Amino acid sequence: MKVLELKNVNKIYNSTEVKVHAVNDVTLQFEEAEFAAIVGPSGSGKTTLLNLIGGLDMPTSGEIIIGGTNLSRLKSSQLIDFRLNNIGFVFQSYNLIPVLTAKENVEFIMTLQKWPREERDERTYELLKAVGLGERINSRPSKLSGGQQQRVAVARALASRPKFVLADEPTANLDSKAATTLLEIMEKLNHDEKITFIFSTHDPRVVKMAHRVITLEDGKVVSDERKE
Amino acid sequence: MKEEFKIAWRNLWRNRRRTMITSASIFFAVFFATIMRSYQLGSYDHMINNLIESFTGHLQLQHINYQDDPLIDNSFDYNDSIVSAILEIDKIVSVTPHLESFTLASNGTQTKGVAVIAIDPVKEKKFSDPEARLVKYRITDEALECIKESGKIADGVIGKVKKSVGRSYSSSVRIELELGLSDEEKTLWMPQILKCSEFSNGFLSGNDEGILVSDRLAGFLKVAIGDSVILMGQGYHGVSATGIFPVRGIIKIPSPEIDNKLIIMTIPAAQKLFDAEGKITALVINLADKSNKTIKKVKTGINALLKNKNITARTWYELNPILYQQIQGDSQSGQLMLGILYFIIFFGIFGTVLMMVSERKREFGVLVAIGMQKKKLKRVVTIEMILLGAIGLVCGLLASTPLILYFYYNPILLKGDLGNMMEDYGWDAVMPTAWFGPYFYWQAVIVTIMVLLATLYPLRKIGKLKEIEALKG
Repeated sequence: MKVLELKNVNKIYNSTEVKVHAVNDVTLQFEEAEFAAIVGPSGSGKTTLLNLIGGLDMPTSGEIIIGGTNLSRLKSSQLIDFRLNNIGFVFQSYNLIPVLTAKENVEFIMTLQKWPREERDERTYELLKAVGLGERINSRPSKLSGGQQQRVAVARALASRPKFVLADEPTANLDSKAATTLLEIMEKLNHDEKITFIFSTHDPRVVKMAHRVITLEDGKVVSDERKE
Repeated sequence: MKEEFKIAWRNLWRNRRRTMITSASIFFAVFFATIMRSYQLGSYDHMINNLIESFTGHLQLQHINYQDDPLIDNSFDYNDSIVSAILEIDKIVSVTPHLESFTLASNGTQTKGVAVIAIDPVKEKKFSDPEARLVKYRITDEALECIKESGKIADGVIGKVKKSVGRSYSSSVRIELELGLSDEEKTLWMPQILKCSEFSNGFLSGNDEGILVSDRLAGFLKVAIGDSVILMGQGYHGVSATGIFPVRGIIKIPSPEIDNKLIIMTIPAAQKLFDAEGKITALVINLADKSNKTIKKVKTGINALLKNKNITARTWYELNPILYQQIQGDSQSGQLMLGILYFIIFFGIFGTVLMMVSERKREFGVLVAIGMQKKKLKRVVTIEMILLGAIGLVCGLLASTPLILYFYYNPILLKGDLGNMMEDYGWDAVMPTAWFGPYFYWQAVIVTIMVLLATLYPLRKIGKLKEIEALKG
């Protein structure tokens, strides 16, 4: 089932004297439960493309359609609600809410969605257990290691069962062991929860584990390979 | 809302030291503002209680021309029906008739222009209570000799008493204050001093034809109780007003200016002297609630009752415009000081807000990116700011409450020159605080306004927030 479709998407930055064509006529489709990596050298447009897919930025032209909804047609507040209900985010620098515990961070999205307390608790424990933090549910981010924080971020991204999760360089700040653990967890959750994961990454370990690798150069898709 | 409150509360304590400093600045501003304002309003109340309630009254019924031309010709007919009708109006405590004029007072070769206030001795008790101002003690040469002869009193105390020879007092407290005795000296020597300086005095009965003479005037005229004073002046519509009046008592008025020229007599005696049968110059009205709102309401009620359009009710501030302006001016300067204090505190709060926004820009971006509506985020920040203000505000109000209560019931006693000066002006030499009123609650309003004004900045920033830029930090 198709969860995301990009049609001739362009993003041009005019803020500097030179026009920068950050995303150049990208057309892509993502199916349910894909585990895809967007790779490419620095400045190739990976993060910009991820921001466009996540509705954090708007394309200069083209269409981004998620579950039948064209993001360009949504107002700012509708877009926020759309992200809340359809997209999970994992950021490079974790970006957990520092004043909330691991459990509260994970259930935050569900609270915004007004889930009943019992369901919220059940889902939170299930996810924190799945990411190996069942014993640290009441720890605040400052008491967790980088790898643990990123695992909480993954649990948060998956909490409300979004259509897909966007992960921008999720392993960039992690050591090798933590990165491997995180990737294994994400792959397992991708398999168990049937949620699409889209990464932008430089990390060869991510590329190795990804089922699909999209390569960008100068904002253009130069290759789109699916592994068997 | 619970979640928003939780995040706001925890955010507040992220930077514990900064929150404590900001709350402390609000605390001290509220604390000092409340105490300062309470003392200021308390002193006005005290002044009004002492001066207005004992002299002018909260309201006076007068002939319409009396304010500009205070002559006995501008008097009006006094009868019980006016009093009964006025007493029907809510909040009125007392209605007291006065007939006031000026005459020359003479005894032997001494003559002086004096103010004559004619009263109803019974009704006046509820108002200025002149009986309480009767001289009870007078330190004379004989009294000093008596004190010395007792042989028990220390030389230092004798020296202090000697300096007060010739002075009169309406209470033992006033002698204590003036002599400046220590607690031990008071216990040991005051009974003897009071015994030797005791002064036998008298008061007026209902239709008495005698007079009370103020202490300094009695000294000038060289009259004592039982002597007579001749009064000469102009009566109603130019008739000659002359009479001879026995001195029934000597009263001590703290204000030297009034003490030099006051004669009190009964209304029937004054009406006979001035040939003003049935006339008075003022009906003095005191109220239970002295707020301007009540005073205005009662004034309107009284004026509506009056059939004689030559009579009108005037408020104490219309009767004492200079005093009222002084109080207003002083009050406004106090408010200005508090305004400056709060202005400075506002910048402290605003500084905290600027830091908070700068530190949390990225976090705001994340929250909006993952699906928190901006209005919800604005609510969290507003709650956080209100909590910040509320901590300082509540602590400030709570800390000032016991002090206000204590000094309301136990006002500071002013001693020395300041105390004497206040007593000479006719005020009790005390500094009370004001009871809790709008001034107390206004602190909450001011702090809330300051906090909300400071909150406008982060609210604007959140409103204009672009997730992409915010996420870059």
